[in-house]
Amino acid sequence: MATPPALDVPPEPPSKRRKTSPDPPSRNDTPDVGLPSSSFPAVADLAEQLDDQERKKYVKGKKLGSGQYADVFSAHLVSDPSKLVAIKKIKVGPEVKEFGISYDSLREIRFLQELDHPNIIKLHAVFSTKNQNLNLVLEHLPQGDLLKLIQDTGGITYTAADIKAWMLMLMRATHFCHANGILHRDIKPNNLLLAADGSVKLADFGLARAMADPFQPMTYNTITIWYRPPELFFQAQHYGGAVDVWSCGCVFAELISREVLFRAWPETEINMVKLICEKVGTPTEENWPGVGKLRGYVTPAEIVPLKPRDQWFAAFRAVGEVGVDLLIKMLTLDPRERLTAESVLKHEYWTSDPRPSKLRDLPRKGGGENTMGQDLTQRGGELPQTNGGRGDRVARKIDFGAGK
Amino acid sequence: MTQRLNEDDLYRTSSQYRLWSFSPESLATLRRKTHELAIARASQYAGTSNSSDGDAFDCLTSEECLRLVRRYLDQTRTTSDHFKWPITVKATAAQYLARFYLSNSPLTYPPKEIYKTVLFLACKTEATHMTLSEYARRISTPADEVLAPEYKVMQALRFTLDVRQPYRGLKGVLMELLNLAEGRVGEVEGVETGGAAALQAEMLGLELPSKTAQTMWRVRDSGKVEGKALVDRINAAYSAARTILDGPALLTDAYFLYTPSQILLAALHLADEPLTSFYLRTKLPLTSDLRPKILATIAACAELLGSFSGSQVLSKEERAALERKLEGCRDPSTRDLVGSHAVAKRGTDGDEEAEEKARKKKAARDKALKEGDDLFGPSLNGKG
Repeated sequence: MATPPALDVPPEPPSKRRKTSPDPPSRNDTPDVGLPSSSFPAVADLAEQLDDQERKKYVKGKKLGSGQYADVFSAHLVSDPSKLVAIKKIKVGPEVKEFGISYDSLREIRFLQELDHPNIIKLHAVFSTKNQNLNLVLEHLPQGDLLKLIQDTGGITYTAADIKAWMLMLMRATHFCHANGILHRDIKPNNLLLAADGSVKLADFGLARAMADPFQPMTYNTITIWYRPPELFFQAQHYGGAVDVWSCGCVFAELISREVLFRAWPETEINMVKLICEKVGTPTEENWPGVGKLRGYVTPAEIVPLKPRDQWFAAFRAVGEVGVDLLIKMLTLDPRERLTAESVLKHEYWTSDPRPSKLRDLPRKGGGENTMGQDLTQRGGELPQTNGGRGDRVARKIDFGAGK
Repeated sequence: MTQRLNEDDLYRTSSQYRLWSFSPESLATLRRKTHELAIARASQYAGTSNSSDGDAFDCLTSEECLRLVRRYLDQTRTTSDHFKWPITVKATAAQYLARFYLSNSPLTYPPKEIYKTVLFLACKTEATHMTLSEYARRISTPADEVLAPEYKVMQALRFTLDVRQPYRGLKGVLMELLNLAEGRVGEVEGVETGGAAALQAEMLGLELPSKTAQTMWRVRDSGKVEGKALVDRINAAYSAARTILDGPALLTDAYFLYTPSQILLAALHLADEPLTSFYLRTKLPLTSDLRPKILATIAACAELLGSFSGSQVLSKEERAALERKLEGCRDPSTRDLVGSHAVAKRGTDGDEEAEEKARKKKAARDKALKEGDDLFGPSLNGKG
């Protein structure tokens, strides 16, 4: 190691030289302005300087999670070690050759840069490293996610007031996205992370998009299948915030009953349509004028009438009659009749008893900071730990019980 | 804790407002700095072959750089149109290019290379799907040349990708005007009106657009505007404004200096002034304190858009001449972007895990090699 380099041997590439200490200064760190022979672009333009400054603000800590798409690290500010952040480092996959920077990362960066709201995960900064990795500096959310909370039926109990508090935070986040012309398109419990103070933070904008201009088609193949609204199964290419409201309705129901509302198994589109017909009612021209014109409109032959209010109430009585009324309106088949995020927030549910729980009274511990690591490394639209399916979800529960 | 945000507040949280909106002076200062930095560098690398100091070095002026960039803004537009991509891709790409050259100089990164990258990036952020290989084939450029500057572009954009645009707002104005013309709107929030019929009558009686207005609409011989003609007038004003948004708005500094709504109202103002004034009366009470300021801003933006002419875009020959000159003074260290991109991809950035992985891989490879090369065959424990 200590022998001086032989003059006739070419210098080692930077990667080999950097093993010795955690963060050694590299020869390429400082722009060699005076040396035109440098093989690296040695230009320190204004943007590069800013990027460099940003990168040097953080100290990377342990890895919280690793997925196919990204790694997530715990980190803190150099200037103040008590200020925690999470750094999501986007992995460079084989698709880079065909696309460059992936659509998912671009979408996430694009939208999070625009959204500053107490219930949306905060993107503090983005920086790149010399070998061209994108690093997203995100808010540190150490309390896991709502999915873990919902699933920990043995360990955690919560009240109707807690549900109201969580749903209110979710709806505010959703409304804020829509008011900014952004559709999230992947609202589900494991994208709802919990901050240290117990507040809910909507995360993972990998499937988000700006609301399209009139007549411009959008894909219907989006939103994790269990949370996907009927119009997308029917291949509607023009839609708006109503798709997210349906997903929010599914989360609402899941918080109450502590099981996925439309848990089609196997998770095929046809099974999902069947389930929605069984649990809400068959979409028909009567309850949804024009539905027959949607390209993918197929329903089971036997028509199920819309589920009467008292049956909804029987299943979800925990949130009271007013709460059930809101749930029905969020899970209305016809997207034009479904409440908008704004009108959800104007519903009397929020102001009727019980009042939403205070943040400090909310149950936490939806799995701890490693859950954030897992959630943030997942690709949009996937069911949690998809490959395992049912067995996996059971395993997850047991695992969680053991950990407590 | 509860905060009520109006549309203006929301706009002020956008990256376009936070990072990409300027006063004319601050914009000029930023460009000057970037150019000075590039010239300083240029005189250094030129200095090695030329013993005189930087002053004698013949290089593109700041003005020439701007003109060259503008030529490629135009190229970006036409290429996007050629692919029949949505208008949002076109505007986003043009703005990416303009933003890129606020912190970078054409001397370091010639726009001829960058515009292709920027257009592909905009295509991705605006959810328009075309594979890299198809894109590369259709613009006759190797795919790696398209991708090589991508991170550089992201960095120059300071990782903000959203571009707020005036198109949807303009469409909104069109719909509102049509509703007013058909007597369907009587109440306008915050403004006193005499009801739907009165508004409709007022519209029919509006002054005609001036001779210099950019609308194609002209009143029939009778000089009287009937209902059908009014609808035509509105549609014509819309399409004239759209043309301005597609051209001058993308080729000038409008996006840096004005908000999307100011830009669209300015375009509409150039298209049909009396109609635009009427529309603004339905939005802005005559008594509003803000009214003079808003009207002055729209007028200033209209001035900028209206003073633009096609002759400000370089011709092919002029472009070629500037690019020849650029060849003589461009930064040699950024010449091979594909090469340095590949080097960067191969290197690691001190990330322990990646290094760990590389080390393991190398160890395994070394071991295999060693075993293969070992004169005496693989070691015994290797067989287990």
